[in-house]
Amino acid sequence: MKLLTKSTLLIATLSLFLFFIMGIIFFQVLKNMSKADLDRELFDLKEIVEGHIGNYRDNPIIALPGIDSLSIQALDVHEESREVFGDTLMFDLKESQYKTYRYIQFYSKKGGAGYQVKIYKSTNPTDYLVERVTLMMTLMVILFLAGIFILNRFIFANLWGDFFRTIEKLKQFETSKEPVVLGEQDIQEFEELRQALERMTRRLANDYKELKEYTDHTTHELQTPLAVIKSKSELLIQSDRLGAEEMKCLEAINTSVNQLSRLNSTLALLTRIENRQFTEKGKIDLSALLEQHLDLMEEHINLRNIRVLKQFHKEPLVLLMDQGLADLLIGNLLKNAIVHNVDGGSIVLETRPGKLIMRNDGPPLTFSQEELFTRFVKDTKRTGNFGLGLSLVKKVCETYNFIIEYTFDNQQHTFTVSFIP
Amino acid sequence: MQILIVEDEASLMESMVSYLALEGFKCEKASDYHTAVCVLDKHDYICMLIDLNLPGGDGLELVKLARENQSESGIIIISARNSIEQRVEGLEAGADDYLVKPFHLSELVARVHSVARRTRMKGGEVLSFGVISVMPEEHSCFVNNKQVDLTRKELDMLMFLMSNRNRVVTKESIADYLWGEYGGAYGSYDFVYTHLKNLRRKLQEAGCPDYVENIYGIGYKFSLDKSS
Repeated sequence: MKLLTKSTLLIATLSLFLFFIMGIIFFQVLKNMSKADLDRELFDLKEIVEGHIGNYRDNPIIALPGIDSLSIQALDVHEESREVFGDTLMFDLKESQYKTYRYIQFYSKKGGAGYQVKIYKSTNPTDYLVERVTLMMTLMVILFLAGIFILNRFIFANLWGDFFRTIEKLKQFETSKEPVVLGEQDIQEFEELRQALERMTRRLANDYKELKEYTDHTTHELQTPLAVIKSKSELLIQSDRLGAEEMKCLEAINTSVNQLSRLNSTLALLTRIENRQFTEKGKIDLSALLEQHLDLMEEHINLRNIRVLKQFHKEPLVLLMDQGLADLLIGNLLKNAIVHNVDGGSIVLETRPGKLIMRNDGPPLTFSQEELFTRFVKDTKRTGNFGLGLSLVKKVCETYNFIIEYTFDNQQHTFTVSFIP
Repeated sequence: MQILIVEDEASLMESMVSYLALEGFKCEKASDYHTAVCVLDKHDYICMLIDLNLPGGDGLELVKLARENQSESGIIIISARNSIEQRVEGLEAGADDYLVKPFHLSELVARVHSVARRTRMKGGEVLSFGVISVMPEEHSCFVNNKQVDLTRKELDMLMFLMSNRNRVVTKESIADYLWGEYGGAYGSYDFVYTHLKNLRRKLQEAGCPDYVENIYGIGYKFSLDKSS
């Protein structure tokens, strides 16, 4: 959820809740006040009516101003009690509907006779007033809320503008590029954020540079002594004075040093991919690339009598990526399909729109599926490889947000690469 | 048969000089940029081997300079740096080939021969060994003047062995030379054996004596002596 949406929602819910409570209280207070007002009026009328009782015997005093209705009953039994206020409904003949009235009931003595008097007053005018005032208030609240929304937006753009610009710049930041430089900001917290970010990105860019140099140097520094060992052992092999035993030793040295140099260059490659040092982008036709690599591996495929079935979709699958990384991806997947195949097995290469599916026969994994793409995980029975091929594949996929999935079914390993996430 | 080697690692330089000497090459040595510039015109080199990381200067600059001075010489860059961009940069500077350290000396010799062939003889010559003659330009091979049908890989393998005649070449070096990075990637070098077996069979069927000698399982030696 966006910051603006979130804050607007929060303000809306909170103020609605507040206004609701306040509205109820206000409404009640207003109602009570108008009722008290009405009661006071009725009380005043009582004095007037009391003065007239007896003059108009058994006749309602309608002519008195301010009284909507009046009933006077002569009582045989004398009752002394206080006046009582109450609400009642009465049928209005003019408008033919029930209306609410407030009344005061009291007893009066005049000339030895007792009367029960009820003075009625319509609540209509006060209700109307309360209604109007409430309506006005609601309208004000709505207007106020609208104002808050607009104000909120305005304040937002003003207050958080720098913050959003900072986010935009951070998004564009890449470790391989320059550290982020943001302009000075007048809000103290944002200024602190800016300083922290600049310090951090500077550090990141610096670390990256150092790591890159370190990898470069390590590779170089390791390759040179390796080259020396390799060349010296090769020279030694040429000697006529060596017997079978010495040659065996030399062969072991030779094999190990070759492995070591391959390991070194592969690890350097992994680091380079991780560091996003492959940034060239070119159009790669996947089926052409597959054919090219199959050509290179023809001997290995033939040696193990592996059948290759190609099911290429008629639409060519074109990828936008670094040529070197594309070679790594396809090369390692194919190599994997050949190495972990069985003699006389098969490889199925299928392209679909946005997808490459590679199947190969082979015995099940000797380790768990989750470890398949991790470094140095390999079939323990096999020697000579390091289990780095698939982690290279994974790294390439990560670089371009490709999704690679693995399944094993029916003695067949299936790798699916989805190029469009 | 002069070769210029520009390399700052003394041991590696020595190995290269010794191995190339076995092939009959004489080497001029330079261990830094300035020495290299000084001896650049000293001889008419067949081939120049230049390391990119040099004390006193950039190897790429040296490649450019060498290309200006000796247009007839082959130039091979030998470098520990192995990225496509660096290869392209090296080749654009005027190098004919790019060899990544650590390399096999036998591979170096084969590349020197092949670069020398391309630049000196314009590729039009015939390589011969015993009763075998190979015309690299036409991709054809003859035994006793009769054409033998070889695949591209078999022909490359034959030429590699011929370049390293009388030397022991390891299985790894054959694999790396012929299959590049796929050579060592399979953990077994059986395919080298299979290929060599096919090559030997084809040559022998054409009436060629078996020049290949198996050396203690470490590799092979291609020589006329064996047949005698």
